[in-house]
Amino acid sequence: MNLFENLKMSLSSILSNKLRSLLTMIGIIIGICAVITITTLGTTLRSTITTTLNSLGSNLIGVFVTTRSESYYDTIDTVYTADDLISYSTLEELTQEYPELRVAAENPIGNASLKNSLGKDLRINLVGAYNGTLDQNGVRILAGRMISMDDVSQKKHTCVVSNIFVRQYFKNDEDPIGQKIELIAEKNGLSYEFTIVGVSTYNSMINGALSSNEDDTVTPVYIPNSIAREINNEYGEQYEFGWVLSYDPKTDGKLAKQHIKDFFNEKYSTNKNFMTIVQSNQDTMKIIDVVINIITIFVAVIASISLIVGGVGVMNIMLVSVTERTREIGIRKALGAKKTTIRIQFVTEAMIMCLIGGLIGLALGLFNGFLAGVIANFVINQIPTAKQVLGTITMVPSIPAIIISIIFSMLTGVFFGYYPASKAAKMNPIDALRYD
Amino acid sequence: MARKLIMMRNIIKRYYIGQPNELQILNGIDLDIHEGEFVAIVGASGSGKSTLMNMIGALDRPTEGTYFLNDTDVSRLNDKQLSAIRNKEIGFVFQTFNLIPRINALKNVELPLLYAGVKKKERQERAMELLKLVNMDDRYTHKPNELSGGQKQRVAIARAMANNPSIILADEPTGALDSKTGHLVMDIFHKLHDEEGKTIVLITHSPELAAETERIITISDGSIISDTGKTTKGTSESAVSETEVSTE
Repeated sequence: MNLFENLKMSLSSILSNKLRSLLTMIGIIIGICAVITITTLGTTLRSTITTTLNSLGSNLIGVFVTTRSESYYDTIDTVYTADDLISYSTLEELTQEYPELRVAAENPIGNASLKNSLGKDLRINLVGAYNGTLDQNGVRILAGRMISMDDVSQKKHTCVVSNIFVRQYFKNDEDPIGQKIELIAEKNGLSYEFTIVGVSTYNSMINGALSSNEDDTVTPVYIPNSIAREINNEYGEQYEFGWVLSYDPKTDGKLAKQHIKDFFNEKYSTNKNFMTIVQSNQDTMKIIDVVINIITIFVAVIASISLIVGGVGVMNIMLVSVTERTREIGIRKALGAKKTTIRIQFVTEAMIMCLIGGLIGLALGLFNGFLAGVIANFVINQIPTAKQVLGTITMVPSIPAIIISIIFSMLTGVFFGYYPASKAAKMNPIDALRYD
Repeated sequence: MARKLIMMRNIIKRYYIGQPNELQILNGIDLDIHEGEFVAIVGASGSGKSTLMNMIGALDRPTEGTYFLNDTDVSRLNDKQLSAIRNKEIGFVFQTFNLIPRINALKNVELPLLYAGVKKKERQERAMELLKLVNMDDRYTHKPNELSGGQKQRVAIARAMANNPSIILADEPTGALDSKTGHLVMDIFHKLHDEEGKTIVLITHSPELAAETERIITISDGSIISDTGKTTKGTSESAVSETEVSTE
């Protein structure tokens, strides 16, 4: 007897008692539905977080000073000196040694005001920048160039503005590169003149949502941080506990990280109390990924407990069915059905029942995920800031979870169907034929 | 003399072996049935005729003795081989018809063919042919509960014939039918015997039915007490009626 005949026979037997089959399947349906819903939410959460993090710049690497002592309470601030921290000149040294590396820190120093080419008042956000600051803001250069390390060290009055600013400032189609703008920093009330060397994109996720009137939007203007520090009344060498660095996305991130590690390990090899930690955005994403995966699997496993409950239900009903069909089993045996044939028939029946339950559960689970997406997007649409950051959420069903749960539901059927099927197979045909 | 189809030697069947209530049902049966015979096994309830039937039908194995069916020693076969013997060599007809209620007449007739591994198309053709033989081809889509008792038994006979078995083993085939319908069913057996040369073993407690056969074996207390080699045949003049009255 071939597989197809068996499937047909099982299906006809399941359909001959539709209500009972459906009630039996409910445990499986709920189990699979829960697993699929949860994994869909999990993968969606992960993809949303990944997308959001990527928009913040995926090529960032942080370097931090930390104590070598293992004791948490052996706090840094009681013992450190400036030599233990990372100075800006060290970074200059680093970027000279490894040209693919950039300094991505930023130093916002408040607003500044200026008049545009038509004499209208404009407000901007002054940001002290280095050659990699755009990476941290998730924006890129459209025209011209970014502020260079030389601009910073030589305190050149250069600046990079956003394309929004260009539209605000130059009402006619002038080339902004090389143009000079004069602004008054609110910090100290002094007037400064900068030459525009580059135009960047604008990232509403980082720099804030655009106002309904574009002219009112406060956009960032990036200036060399050495000048920003002067405006802030800071002088001398700049020391920090940690710096954000970035690397040219065209180069290998792992190698960049290794370079930074090697460089600072060497620098701190003689330091008895302090060392450095290097961590890339990719590392952070990996950790988040792992955490979400663990949570998803954990909850999915809990949800799949209901599959066991469902499986027991299937076993129960199969036992009833075997008893009810004792006579049928006797007839089949008298007509030449072997033990194996009977066993396969009943196992197939349990398996098909669980598979159908699993498919219904899958459909419901996907629907739940879809529904969650609709609700989430509705809520996000009500909150403009959330919309700026998250955009529209697309639900991502987890393909492995779908495949695994369908296979698992079939295995549940086989596992819980085996005992009743064996019971049927072992029946003595004489007794079974006499059974009423 | 025709070939020996069944050769039983000293068949003993005991139940509850080794227990205080050990019970011996068959006390050393010797029985030969030849190809083409129409035999009735009669006996009162508890005489052991059902146990003998189970033995002949390969549903059970004897405790002692040998049973050759079509030159195969059935008493030494395992469960799987017994299934194959039942499938190919025996055609069962039961008192209570024993059709599977969920499936239609055609599918019921197809079952032994299905277990024999016959391909779908061939199976359907053969099943239709058999239903035609018992004049049930116009009802092949009917489920058992849509058929009368006589119709059910005719379908059951068609099913018994499916793999063209060596023996048709009929256990009180008219027991659940009224006498008129019963006669119509008996006529089919006569037809199978006369026209197809089938070997038929009829188990019954009714002397009238037994009288229709060629040979009557009487069992009492687990032993054969008489075996006639009767050659006269019963009334088989009336053909299977098309206008059979439902008994339900």
